[in-house]
Amino acid sequence: MSSDPKNLKISKQINRSDILMSIARLPDSNRVFVGSSDGKIYDLDVMVEKPEVRELVGHDSYVTGLAHVDKALISASYDRKLIWWDHETGKPIRSIDAHQRWIRKLVVTPDQQLAVTVADDMVCRIWDTKTGQQVRELRGHQEKTPHHFPSMLYACTVSPDGKYLATGDRVGHVVIWELATGKELATLETPIMYTWDPKARIHSIGGIRSLAFSSDSSRLAVGGTGKINNIDHLEALSRVEVFAWQKQERTHEFKGSEHKGLVEHLVFHPENHWLLAAGGDHNGFIKFLDLEKSNVIKQQKAPMHVHDFTVNETFDTVYAAGHGKLVVWGMQA
Amino acid sequence: MGTKESNNFCGSAEHSIDRRTFLGSAMQGGAALGAGAWGLNALRQPALAEALKRQEKRVILLWLAGGASQLETWDPKPGRPTGGPYRAIQTTVPGLQISELMPKMAGRMKDTAIIRSLNTKDGSHGTGARLMHLGRRDEPNLKYPDMGAVLARELGRADSPVPDYVSFYTATEGRGNAVGQSGFLGARYAPMSLTTENKPAFLSRQESISVSDHQQRAELQALLSERFARKRKLPAVGSHQEAYARVRGLMSSETLFDISQEPQKIQDRYGPTLFGQQALVARRLIEAGTPFVKVSRAWWDSHGQNFETHLELVTELDHVMSTLLDDLEDRGLLENTLVLTLAEFGRTPKINGSLGRDHFGSAWSVSLSGCGIKGGSVYGKTDQDGQTVADGEVGAGEVFATIYQALGIDHQKDYHLGARPIPLTDPGIEPVKEVLA
Repeated sequence: MSSDPKNLKISKQINRSDILMSIARLPDSNRVFVGSSDGKIYDLDVMVEKPEVRELVGHDSYVTGLAHVDKALISASYDRKLIWWDHETGKPIRSIDAHQRWIRKLVVTPDQQLAVTVADDMVCRIWDTKTGQQVRELRGHQEKTPHHFPSMLYACTVSPDGKYLATGDRVGHVVIWELATGKELATLETPIMYTWDPKARIHSIGGIRSLAFSSDSSRLAVGGTGKINNIDHLEALSRVEVFAWQKQERTHEFKGSEHKGLVEHLVFHPENHWLLAAGGDHNGFIKFLDLEKSNVIKQQKAPMHVHDFTVNETFDTVYAAGHGKLVVWGMQA
Repeated sequence: MGTKESNNFCGSAEHSIDRRTFLGSAMQGGAALGAGAWGLNALRQPALAEALKRQEKRVILLWLAGGASQLETWDPKPGRPTGGPYRAIQTTVPGLQISELMPKMAGRMKDTAIIRSLNTKDGSHGTGARLMHLGRRDEPNLKYPDMGAVLARELGRADSPVPDYVSFYTATEGRGNAVGQSGFLGARYAPMSLTTENKPAFLSRQESISVSDHQQRAELQALLSERFARKRKLPAVGSHQEAYARVRGLMSSETLFDISQEPQKIQDRYGPTLFGQQALVARRLIEAGTPFVKVSRAWWDSHGQNFETHLELVTELDHVMSTLLDDLEDRGLLENTLVLTLAEFGRTPKINGSLGRDHFGSAWSVSLSGCGIKGGSVYGKTDQDGQTVADGEVGAGEVFATIYQALGIDHQKDYHLGARPIPLTDPGIEPVKEVLA
């Protein structure tokens, strides 16, 4: 795992006319599946000069979550559906009406036995990846904000040991669950990530957009944005808070120094060398945070607002999907 | 409480006769104008004025300040690159679809018309808002009255104890763009403007003055004024007395602004948000005779996170607007009350990098419900991506002409400023007849 974020450099950029909301990569390859605003999933080898692109057609709204399970791909969408696809044929295997409102995020447990979804119906659902049956549903988030507007449940993540699940919502409320039982273990609050403007504009913006457990599962990183003055825009600096969640103690606060907008996705290096965050406002950013020194190792502007990314097995390549672009960064040592 | 009286001006046979009579007389009246002060016009002829005012036509304007997205409300484009993630849903009107964010309105489009082809050519909050308040542009040396001032004059009664024009704008953003303007009609038709609370400040009787003291003072003032006026025929004297009477009327109308006077069930229907509460006050006011109330809901300017903002604000609009229309209908007021949704512009079909939409005046939508409106009708069309008007392009003037016509007011009638005739809408402007009952 010889990577050095200081060597971060774009190795491939593909321009597109759509908005890419999600990405999943086949192990040990450059073959990625990206979920689009046009409801399609595109399958391509991103490093080929002129890649052949296969379309997977089945959703009718933004595709917001993708995950590989054995020989299948699972996709989640604002159309409230989960669809299982055969990798090889690109044909749907199973489709289920999973939620009452937009599905915001899909993750799969490390053993690939379970899939987890969160949606704006404010419910987290756990699914058997083999049968598509619902295993459990978790309700720990309020349907309305304190100001009587619909809330949104944006983020979820599963710990590397598969024991814990975390969910985060619009008003900055985080719940940590025991995955095996559905028991609520802890809650955290990140109120700065939610801005309610009671005077100038009388509505809200923000919310928790990303979550990630550290490799030992003891830390939980929470991504969003800072308190916003003019909520017409994502004008606050991007924000990451890290918690020793079992102690309910915030250990780190990365307020940001350069890049505005939302932290849309977070990934911990398996040896905790860095915490990678990416997102954006009109523009995009990618940044590597050092928890040990509480500083930024490397940050730079991305060519687009990054909605999702994934990292390869050696943690030296980042594949990112975003607004009108698909980008690959290399950071080999 | 409102009555269930039938409306003679909106669709009935008597109405059509009254309107023809009125319009004909108005034209004769217009021809006779020009010699006197600016205030001369057809409605100054008492019989005609009262004929209209007896109809008790009312208007509630829901001002969607900052610019609501037509794509997330009245003109969805599902499946198109510009359409965004919301679906379109079928309404109770066959063939008519609106955004899925408006399920309650989808269930009651029978009283609502949509104009989908507004091109105001203006993407500025300030000038766009002025245009959509005035129906045209001010001239360098002439300030026009806004819709509220015109309707206060046309529909209000001189002896009314309630205010003629009430404007709510509580949010601070954009408030300066939407300030009421009585223009050449003068301060008499300026709005009672509420910006901090739902109840006017300084309207209450001072606690140091008892009710009986207050009454006695008023009687003494009236007695002295009458003696004074008896020997003097100056217009200013009458105006002075009228002003006192209006102040007393306004004081007595204080309770209209207090929604706690409503049964809890009604308060619950409108909901806990400020917009809902102000819509309820608006209903109380128009029920009591106020001809024009503007309820501003700011701020829709969703350059970032358009879909989240519209999930909040359209959900609220859908609830408040449908509740208001239901309540008006239940009280027999809807056929005489016109409910409008207007803004300074719509929002760009293009979705920007912050998942926002920007200012867009080239192809957007407004809605008109209730009095004089052909419910379920749609006028105009945008192209498949909502970038341009494909059919039936109209501007602000046509929208205003339509509003006046729906209320039984001739949009071509003239006011006079000195010798200069000033029509209610610019010459050549025609109403959108397709949405009129």
